[in-house]
Amino acid sequence: MKFIAGISSTTALICLLSWTDPNSASAFVPSSSSSSLSSSSSSFVGYARNDASVVVEPNARARRETSLNAEAIKITMPALSSTMKEGRVVTWLKSEGDEIEAGEAIMVVESDKADMDVEAFEDGYLAKILTQEGETAEVGAVVALVAALQGDIASIAEGGGGGDEPGGAAAASAPIAAEASPAATAAAGGGGGAAPDVEFSRLDMPALSSTMKEGKVVSWLKSEGDAVEAGEAIMVVESDKADMDVEAFEDGIIAAIITQEGEAAAVGSPVALIAANEADVPALKAYAAILAGGGGSPPPPPASAAAVAAPPAAKAAPKAAAASAASAGGRVVASPMAKAMADEMGIDISTVVGTGPDGRITASDVQNAAMSPPAGAAAKKPAAAKVPSWTPAAGVIAATPTARALAKKAKLDLATIAGTGEFGRVTADDVRMATGEMKPKKKSVVPGGGGPAPVELPEGLVPFTGMQRAVSNNMEKTLDCPVFRASREIEMDAFNELYQQVKPKGVTVSALLAKAVAKALEKHPIVNSSYRKEGTFFNKDINIAMAVAIDGGLITPVLKNANERGVLDLGEDWKGLVDKAKTGTLKPDEYNSGTFTISNMGMFGISQFDAILPSGQGGILAVAGTQEYIVPCKQAVLGMKKISKMTVTLTCDHRQIYGADAALFLKTFSEIMMSPKSLV
Amino acid sequence: MRFLLASVALLATQASAFVAPSRGSAAASASAPATSLDASRCGNYDYDVIIVGCGVGGHGAALHSRSQGLSTAIFSGGDVGGTCVNRGCVPSKALLAASGRVREMRAEDHLSEFGIKVEGEVTYDREGVARHAKQLANRVKGNLEGSLTALGVDIVEGRGVLVGGGGGAGAVEGVHEVKDETSGKVYTAKQDIILAPGSIPFVPPGVTVDEKTVYTSDGALELQSVPQWVAIIGSGYIGLEFSDVYTALGSEVTFIEALPNIMPTFDREIAKQAERLLIRDRPIDYRTGVFASEVTPGIPGVKPVTIKMIDAKTKEHVETLEVDAAMVATGRVPNTANMGLESVGIETSRGFVAVDSKMRVMTKHGEDGVVVPNVYCIGDANGKMMLAHAASAQGISAIENICGRTHEVNHDAIPAACFTHPEIAMVGPTEEQAIERAAKEGWTLGKSQGSFRANSKALAELEGNGMAKVLYNKESGKVVAVHIIGIHAADLIQECANAVAAGTTVQELSMMVHTHPTLCEVLDEAFKGAVGMAAH
Repeated sequence: MKFIAGISSTTALICLLSWTDPNSASAFVPSSSSSSLSSSSSSFVGYARNDASVVVEPNARARRETSLNAEAIKITMPALSSTMKEGRVVTWLKSEGDEIEAGEAIMVVESDKADMDVEAFEDGYLAKILTQEGETAEVGAVVALVAALQGDIASIAEGGGGGDEPGGAAAASAPIAAEASPAATAAAGGGGGAAPDVEFSRLDMPALSSTMKEGKVVSWLKSEGDAVEAGEAIMVVESDKADMDVEAFEDGIIAAIITQEGEAAAVGSPVALIAANEADVPALKAYAAILAGGGGSPPPPPASAAAVAAPPAAKAAPKAAAASAASAGGRVVASPMAKAMADEMGIDISTVVGTGPDGRITASDVQNAAMSPPAGAAAKKPAAAKVPSWTPAAGVIAATPTARALAKKAKLDLATIAGTGEFGRVTADDVRMATGEMKPKKKSVVPGGGGPAPVELPEGLVPFTGMQRAVSNNMEKTLDCPVFRASREIEMDAFNELYQQVKPKGVTVSALLAKAVAKALEKHPIVNSSYRKEGTFFNKDINIAMAVAIDGGLITPVLKNANERGVLDLGEDWKGLVDKAKTGTLKPDEYNSGTFTISNMGMFGISQFDAILPSGQGGILAVAGTQEYIVPCKQAVLGMKKISKMTVTLTCDHRQIYGADAALFLKTFSEIMMSPKSLV
Repeated sequence: MRFLLASVALLATQASAFVAPSRGSAAASASAPATSLDASRCGNYDYDVIIVGCGVGGHGAALHSRSQGLSTAIFSGGDVGGTCVNRGCVPSKALLAASGRVREMRAEDHLSEFGIKVEGEVTYDREGVARHAKQLANRVKGNLEGSLTALGVDIVEGRGVLVGGGGGAGAVEGVHEVKDETSGKVYTAKQDIILAPGSIPFVPPGVTVDEKTVYTSDGALELQSVPQWVAIIGSGYIGLEFSDVYTALGSEVTFIEALPNIMPTFDREIAKQAERLLIRDRPIDYRTGVFASEVTPGIPGVKPVTIKMIDAKTKEHVETLEVDAAMVATGRVPNTANMGLESVGIETSRGFVAVDSKMRVMTKHGEDGVVVPNVYCIGDANGKMMLAHAASAQGISAIENICGRTHEVNHDAIPAACFTHPEIAMVGPTEEQAIERAAKEGWTLGKSQGSFRANSKALAELEGNGMAKVLYNKESGKVVAVHIIGIHAADLIQECANAVAAGTTVQELSMMVHTHPTLCEVLDEAFKGAVGMAAH
């Protein structure tokens, strides 16, 4: 495993020693991890840290020392590409005196490849800009100075040193320090108490390439509690170049995983803790929770990493507590070999009787247990298995490789899982079923089977989409409105004949319907009105909204001034509106400006239905399908003829529209439909 | 399919060790009597060259023999095409191609990154997949046979057996006669005989093969079943390729490897990547350092295959597996029994025929061996490099030597590939071997890498996993070895093999232009990196 040396900040380390207990500090630093401890920077990081100011001392004496050294944090020109030699500051996003937070973009730099935001690496105050906008600085050159404390801004801006006037500056900064940096204080306090006095090593995110800033943990090859050997691959890290195995550099036990699978960590930041002794695992777990929170980690990771690191901290804490509780409850004394073997064989180690010193479980105990499985397990298996004709030989673990791996991960005893695979073997799905990750297939209600396979039905809550939510809200709103409904059958033969004539010209049923309704509304403006508390509001325009079902929702695009426009125009407009509806690009004015709505389900063969009146409108017309009827007819040869009829149902707001209005409107509409020539 | 016995590496080193000292005397003894024999036998022969064995090696030798105007006969032993075409490389590619597509189309996450969604379940017809393999083999076999007859090579149906002058006198007089085992007819070669009998799968003691539930690659290629769980004994090329096929089709796999490391014959760094890409992310687990000491076939649906495993060192029982099928992929042994070798004074070692660097057969392995005049041995039977194209190259080399033009095959320049998804390919020694070689020969080993993650084409394919590693001599700049794991590695290795063969330097390679955007740029990055240039 490689560690990037980074910018070793000796001052930080010394400070650390000054306020932490020497013992715990040394526990921190088992040779190999000391470099990683202080390595915070990859080539992309724009900061050369001068660290005296990073640590806020918890006692007055120490604080005075800090203030004495109150030097500026230097912001340097970062190398934004491997070929970049100098960079031009395009813009300063902060001005002198501004407070800056770690992770906040503070300037825009133009490199040879692109303009990039450069983020602050630490909290502080921008004290002095050395490279002005438009000016160029070499990579590594100091472009600005940052003061950790507001009180230091002036002195840093003046001399860049800060340590010249100890008395006044210290006195002035003292209260502010306490106020402004509670986080830092907490961090320092946490750090001081966190590192447990036990032997452990820290596994840090290695720099797998020269350009790697952070790495994503693709997978952990070991779980918490697993023993690792030096040289053994323990995780896979995805860098900008490749996925690579990262090996342990010391023997030990994985005490705590700080960066979970799928999460990223900055190069040099801790991703796991490895305990030298198993007994120290709980203590390290607790420490890991603090590290994950960023509290005790001396090199503060960039904001992006901090952001992803935060959630696991919360997760890790209860886990740690649970783990220690468990070990306190029923402690199993077993040799590592025995544990590994039990894991391997899928045996619950707590069921094994130890014969070693002090009842310790040895490897041979596990082996014996495997050879003669407990009576309970043996009795259970054949009963549960679907293929009972085969009994595995003694010592055989009847489980596929994936089932074993899954059971191990879920800490399940394979013997407790009913196998449904070949020869009663436990399969991966069996384990998933046992963990609840997978639901058992719904059994056919029809006994004996033989019928068609049961249809897979959806189950459980599916959250509303934005559109579905809007529809449900609108529907609830309509409950306040008293409505009535009126239906009428309309003979459609003339309409159908006309439609067949104009269809080749591109006239659509929707356009004809909209036009017919609009024409009828012209004669009965009350049906086109809206209810207002003060009275009836007559809408000047006749805007026909028509309901369209689109994938996962319902929307009503509007044909404006439908009474005044030709059917071809309306048809074309409608086509465009439907396309927009399908792509979700309708403008609000195109779907909420309707004064009357048509809901047409004729194409589905619906014989009759009524629609819910959208709030704000006076009426909605539900158009059902056309059906053929035989009716008496004296002129016809057989005394009867075949006609087509369609039922329409008008729903109206009864607060301003009355039954007679609806009846008259429907009569007019019927007349238009029965002599439809006027439409085209 | 590349057949590699776990012990081959060891054997190959033995071979090269004994060839060197004997080379001088062998060369001397060969050229002089050849002319005299030509004279004495003139007009009393059937063919200029007789080739025993009609695999890829024999085929390559026969084609070149005809191109040199030599009359040629080839003994097929009823197996035109040999292992590669009928039971090896060729049909396995068909299985890998079919199963690879199944894997691709079932990889929902991967497809969705492309914006592709497969509705419903992707299924396959096992018999259809098996038929594709069978038909491919038949077709390639037909092509191979057609090219022989078209070029005027006489194919003798039976198996060829050497006929000695009696009492193992071959070393003195040379061997010129081959008997058709089927018809009993004896054919005489004017000049030389090339042995190309190939190899057969090795089945370790204790393993019972029924070719149904316990099978070698021969049975596996027929794809008689897709077992729920199959154990593969041996994690070399063959085992790895089949694990790729099986897992793609839905099986779970357990590797049983006798050596301490999985994939022991590969470069370690490549093996580690391969473990991640080809094993760990798949339903595969493995045991290393164990022998499958007892493998008992099962009966499908009635009784599983039982595999007893013992520790490779302590020989103690460690675990018993009950699986649906077991594939034995523990390497291959020469197919040299009962072909009259003893009758002409040729001693084999574990079946392998000793040859010198010109492919001339030696009486035995070791320093005592002397050249058997007029007999060559190429391909798997000499154990130098058990690869089809190596056999063919050796066959061509043998013909060159027969024609009086001294030629030696540079085995370091012969590439090899494992056709998993993604592929693994290499030319030259592993890094571990190269380090040893550099120390022994006193030069400095340089190493440079290219990565697929930084390659535009690989990223477009969403196949960013993998690496190419170029090992070179820092003093001379010459490429020593290249190892690639990544998409289309097998097609990428050729440039490197050519470089090794031609002695091209990394300085030269770094200035050669690679097409953009192609996977070749992974190598461009490595070549440029070797001379301190950046590719991107």
